[in-house]
Amino acid sequence: MKQKLWILMFFTFCAIAVKAQTQSVKGHVTDQDSRPLERATIQAAGTKTTVITNSEGAFSINVPATVKSLIISSVGYVQVEQAIKGNTMNVAMKKTDKNLEEVVVVGYGQAQKRMVTGSISKVGAKEIENQPVQSFESAIQGKAPGVVIENSSGKVGQGIKVRIRGTSSISASSQPLYVIDGVPLTTASQSDINNEPTNPLIDLNPNDIESIEILKDAASSAIYGARAANGVVLITTKKGARNSKSVVELNSSLGFSNPTVKRKFLNATEYVQAMRNAAATNGRYDFIHDNAGPDGATTAATEQEAVNNFVKYYEDNFLDPLSLGTDWRNAKVNTDWTEEQFRKNAISRQLDLSVRGGNDKTRFFASGYYNDQEAIVIVNRFKRFGGRLNLDHSINDKLSIGLNMSITRSQLDRITNDNAFSTPGQLLAQVPISPLIDPATGDINANTLYPNALFDAKYNSDRQITFRNIGNVFANYSILPALSFRSEFGTDILNMTEETFADKRTQDGSNIGKGQYFTSQNITFNTNNYFTYAPRIGDNFKLTTLLGMSYLQNDLRQSNEQAENYPSAAVKNLTGATTVTFGNSVNNRYNFLSYFMRSNFSFKDKYLLGFSVRADGSSRFSSENRYGYFPAASVGWVLSEEPFIKDSKTINYLKLRASLGLTGNAEIGEHQFLELFNVSNYPNLPGFIPFQLGDARLKWEKTTQTDIGLEFGLFNNRFSGEIDVYNKQTKDLLLAVNVPSTNGYFDNVNFLNQVLQNLGSLENKGLEILLNGRIIDQKDFKWSSSFNISFNRNKIKDIKGQVIQGSTTQRAIEGEPIGVFFMPKFLGVDPANGDALYLGEDGKSTNDYNAAKRTVVGDPNPDFTGGFNNTISFKGFDLNAFFTFVSGNEIFNLGGRFMSSGFGNGLDNQTIDILNAWQKPGDITNVPRAGVFFKTGQRQSSRWLYDGSYIRLRQLSLGYNLPAEITSRLNINSARLFVAAANIWTKTKYISDPEVNSLGTQISGVANITGGIDFYSIPQPKTFSLGLNIKF
Amino acid sequence: MKFKIISLLVIAISIMPACNKKLDVAPQNTLTPSQIVSADDVKAVLFGGYSTLQNANAFGEKYNTFTELLISDNDITWAGTFSDYDDLANKAQTRESAVIYQVWANSYHTINVANIVLSKLDVITGDEKLVIEGEAKFLRGLTYFTLVNLFAKPYSAGNVQSNPGVPLILQPVSGYDPARDKLPRASVEAVYTQILADLTEAVNKLPEEADNFRATKYAAEAILSRVYLAQANYTGAATAANDVIESNFYSLTSSFDKAFNNSVSSSEDIFAIQQTSQSNSGTTDFGITAFYSGDPIGRGEIQITPAHIAKYEAGDERKDFFYDGSSISGSPGILTSKWRDLYKAIPVVRLAEMYPTRAEANFRKGGAPIGPNTPLEDVNIIRNRAGLSSLGSINSANVIVKERFLELAFEGERFYTVKRLKLTVDGHAYNDPRLILPIPQREIDLGNSLPQNEGY
Repeated sequence: MKQKLWILMFFTFCAIAVKAQTQSVKGHVTDQDSRPLERATIQAAGTKTTVITNSEGAFSINVPATVKSLIISSVGYVQVEQAIKGNTMNVAMKKTDKNLEEVVVVGYGQAQKRMVTGSISKVGAKEIENQPVQSFESAIQGKAPGVVIENSSGKVGQGIKVRIRGTSSISASSQPLYVIDGVPLTTASQSDINNEPTNPLIDLNPNDIESIEILKDAASSAIYGARAANGVVLITTKKGARNSKSVVELNSSLGFSNPTVKRKFLNATEYVQAMRNAAATNGRYDFIHDNAGPDGATTAATEQEAVNNFVKYYEDNFLDPLSLGTDWRNAKVNTDWTEEQFRKNAISRQLDLSVRGGNDKTRFFASGYYNDQEAIVIVNRFKRFGGRLNLDHSINDKLSIGLNMSITRSQLDRITNDNAFSTPGQLLAQVPISPLIDPATGDINANTLYPNALFDAKYNSDRQITFRNIGNVFANYSILPALSFRSEFGTDILNMTEETFADKRTQDGSNIGKGQYFTSQNITFNTNNYFTYAPRIGDNFKLTTLLGMSYLQNDLRQSNEQAENYPSAAVKNLTGATTVTFGNSVNNRYNFLSYFMRSNFSFKDKYLLGFSVRADGSSRFSSENRYGYFPAASVGWVLSEEPFIKDSKTINYLKLRASLGLTGNAEIGEHQFLELFNVSNYPNLPGFIPFQLGDARLKWEKTTQTDIGLEFGLFNNRFSGEIDVYNKQTKDLLLAVNVPSTNGYFDNVNFLNQVLQNLGSLENKGLEILLNGRIIDQKDFKWSSSFNISFNRNKIKDIKGQVIQGSTTQRAIEGEPIGVFFMPKFLGVDPANGDALYLGEDGKSTNDYNAAKRTVVGDPNPDFTGGFNNTISFKGFDLNAFFTFVSGNEIFNLGGRFMSSGFGNGLDNQTIDILNAWQKPGDITNVPRAGVFFKTGQRQSSRWLYDGSYIRLRQLSLGYNLPAEITSRLNINSARLFVAAANIWTKTKYISDPEVNSLGTQISGVANITGGIDFYSIPQPKTFSLGLNIKF
Repeated sequence: MKFKIISLLVIAISIMPACNKKLDVAPQNTLTPSQIVSADDVKAVLFGGYSTLQNANAFGEKYNTFTELLISDNDITWAGTFSDYDDLANKAQTRESAVIYQVWANSYHTINVANIVLSKLDVITGDEKLVIEGEAKFLRGLTYFTLVNLFAKPYSAGNVQSNPGVPLILQPVSGYDPARDKLPRASVEAVYTQILADLTEAVNKLPEEADNFRATKYAAEAILSRVYLAQANYTGAATAANDVIESNFYSLTSSFDKAFNNSVSSSEDIFAIQQTSQSNSGTTDFGITAFYSGDPIGRGEIQITPAHIAKYEAGDERKDFFYDGSSISGSPGILTSKWRDLYKAIPVVRLAEMYPTRAEANFRKGGAPIGPNTPLEDVNIIRNRAGLSSLGSINSANVIVKERFLELAFEGERFYTVKRLKLTVDGHAYNDPRLILPIPQREIDLGNSLPQNEGY
């Protein structure tokens, strides 16, 4: 039945405009960059005969023989009258205004920004190209209002948390949907789950990107229905230009990176001092309390004797062994372990060559690229090379075909996760009196406090190699001048292998050597098929309707083998191992079948109306709850077209728009609605084991979003901007509901007892402001500025009173923003005895941790975020300064309880604040009593919670364009030399780099409830680079 | 023209019905309950139960490490960085502890497996049906016995009718129904009644021998002897232990050290968890070897004190079953060899326990001993195997208990003896709630009517 209805609708479309044939003129209308111009009006001069161009910019008009010329017009472009010569005509139109008539890419098409009724942020190629980042999302940080990007650390290739208008789910993914040239991308980490997630978007070359459009409100994103609740990021790659000379472009840059900040730790003298202080404090405490001595069996006659006993104990048991017999009393060894984790001047290189051009029938863009980026942390390195070909060809006036295809090989040399002893970040914990080289062996010191990660760095490897092929082929067919059909077949093929080897000499090698071989083949197939119908209905009305379907299928095939017992490190493959300890293969499939429709209607280019609806079906839900319907409606009013403003000298553009719509989320993984058993492998007794309680009623998570926006241009568009307020209400949350363990469905891999249900609601409300100004606009001197600021308030409204744990110190709690820090509140130090004090259940302070009240002490979500960009050009020079800022969020230093706890959790080297620890009654300090004995204040509390606000000069660059007389002599079109600095200035109260999200995306199912955690994280790089851009 | 349009439409539309069917995607890596239909399938679920016992949250580690740390007294020290373990060693365990929750949850995982098997016995025919039933009840009885001792006051504390035990769930559940699934704590007495019922049935239904080290009649009876000891039912304990010993299916290994680090169960293992390099309780962050074995095989974080070593007589081979090593973070210390190697069988109950059990039970009940041996003879069997001379007489049960402690040191057994004999450890009386685990706060947050243990 459903199919019949569709057929009927298609035929209705076709029946509308069948006309008699006469002599005709055919052609293409493009903008000045040779991009096809859709919906331009072609009028036979002196008559009322008009047609409009299709999505390819093509037109065909029948005119009486008397007509000598055609008048071509389009809103925002200068009208052109061109004489008819023969029966073809190609027209390139000039924009009337640079800023406001830009074209934006929308779902399954493009539109003039001016006519759009949704909230869309666009980031152009110029802002993405030649940035010292591996992945393009990093380059849009601070540039698009409402988009918050959190890098996990300064490692390269790591997962990045992207939130568009806040986190709209608790248990389902809140990452946006990425679509490149119509193909939805695989963005979930494919790598070994025992390490941190990696970012599959690094397989894209940022320099291939023409534009990024971020669909934020429901009106713009609901056409992607069930996958749009987290926003949609549309990536459009560069295309060739019709009838243009081929342009060869070369980009090359070289960068040097170092950490933005290094934490301040004790040096050898200070460490010994801190140890002795702690010992003396312990001695005094012991004398008053047990008087049992450090070994539990030595009483002291005087306080001084107790102190001496403890100091001697510390010296004999801690300082002597750690120093390997070196003279720690005179600080003969003073190892700066912090330094050891970093490269000195990590190098990044980038080379990128592209050609674009085309003739009347064909246009193309081809590129090849190579990147090699060392992280500031040792071992970690990323390399990428590949190429792209984007091609399209008009077979005739009606039919054009094309392809967009990229192939990339990327290689990532990894280090272990932040929580492993073997990760370089944890070198911070080693003590300064430990020598770097063991005097006894002459090799790296193997007798450090913790396993020495330098061994792992030297002997171990973890290499991920990905082959990625993303592309699609498409055909456009103009059935009638007003009706066209487009069909796209796209694919995203990701083939990854990750090989790890842990030498027997290292901690991770456990004395026997261990290896792992992990493969992941993730293949998305996607087809979009749709009709676009844009009939002409009189002079004042315009209608564009889209109707189509899409099918996506994703197949994931993974295998993992682990083996151990290597005779030596000579053969590092699994062939070199003699005992296989684990092997599996995993296959998963999901699919989405979708039908969609959109109509945009405008009257006099002034009153705008939009409506869209998408029906999505997915394998992720049971057959009863499989389909979801996601409608959206929007209105716009271009006030500046009204007579009372039209002639205003001040206001030259003013638009008010509003939208309301429903979007969904289904990013929960496969088969969550089923009750499931796993296979268990007890020796010789292969079995089944219950692990997932399913809920067959599971269905889409739904987000209703209201958006009201105002766009304006003032003083001849010298000053323009956009203001949006939104309200996103998410209900039927796909929530992992805690189930009593007595039910016995224990997921003993993730240690969870949960069932996914549609339960509860949350909201995001916000305000986004974008202001652009051309402050100085003279021929030789220009200064333009762009400022954006976004406020988002997240609140969990209802989760049936549950408290859901994310990272150990974070929770989802009703009435609070997601991921609040939840732990005892640290109140300082009791001057009488040095005990840490916490806020107790009774509201009074207590030194008993178990009596302390667990409470909300902070919020990792910022109050506001934004960016401020300034571009100044003077003659051939251009200067760019780009600041980003984040305010009102907290960061929890999860490693604080080791690195700043006064030896309460080990002998780790301490941050310098330990020197202020309480020592004797009456000391007023905020640092509790230190010591290995009589510990206090060493447990998780708000003691290590910090304000995470910052403002950062993310990019400062200076470029010089060689003057024309030189370039012409060199026989090139243009040449630009630039020097750039990234992250060179930061203002923050945080003790390390404030861009941190350690362990964040690592914890299964609760990535949304983590954030703002620092656990021995590598800081962001500070990069100086110089580069060259030449066009031939 | 028209032809072209129609052909395009045909192409477009022909894709759609084909796609619709594709939305039915069956799991390829897991199975649904509807696929558990045959006798082999039900047996597979039962075998899944063994893997839950092997899990680090059960006999694979924490049933041992948690109990040993809790009654650590002056025998072991914790030299590690994991704060939950540190808390246990300091009797400062918290109700929010994630690992305590995992032990609780994993135990009910085992119980659920048993319940599922018991609910699907109908598909099994013949004698095997009895065996499977007995085996499921063995798993359930053993697990409830461990759970009630970990999370509730000991039986020896009296008031068993009123002291809260643990929730009793004896039927499998499907889906989640908050009203149905919130359970109260059954009394200690009710839990023990269920344990005795399960283990007694297991004794009656299980065979004397089984392949692949599955549970046998004597495995059930050996556990039953522990339950009877906990209840001070000495006749029951002596009878059960005697049955196991006199079955002659088990024999002590020729020397003490041969009872450990075996690839499969030894001749004296009545029930042991099997491990291989592919199937084990963990190697680095969990698993029994991870904590007891020294760096680099393990983390070496449960270290033995010189005070413990001093408890052995000169010439005791068991005294030599220790070695000097260090923890992963470099703290030197003494380590036990019992859990030295990875991937070895983990004894749950050994024949060497049955002799002191029979001896002590016979000694305490007085009168004619059950079985052929006097308590003295039984104790001497264990002493002689350890290379020690025979004792001439036993004047106190404490002599037997001391031998029990030394023989079974760090095997997760001492906890139960401390409780039943009302011993004080580290200044904590046997019934101090600090010597049991708190009910995980998570379970209480779910609205279960689970009263928290005192002091948490």
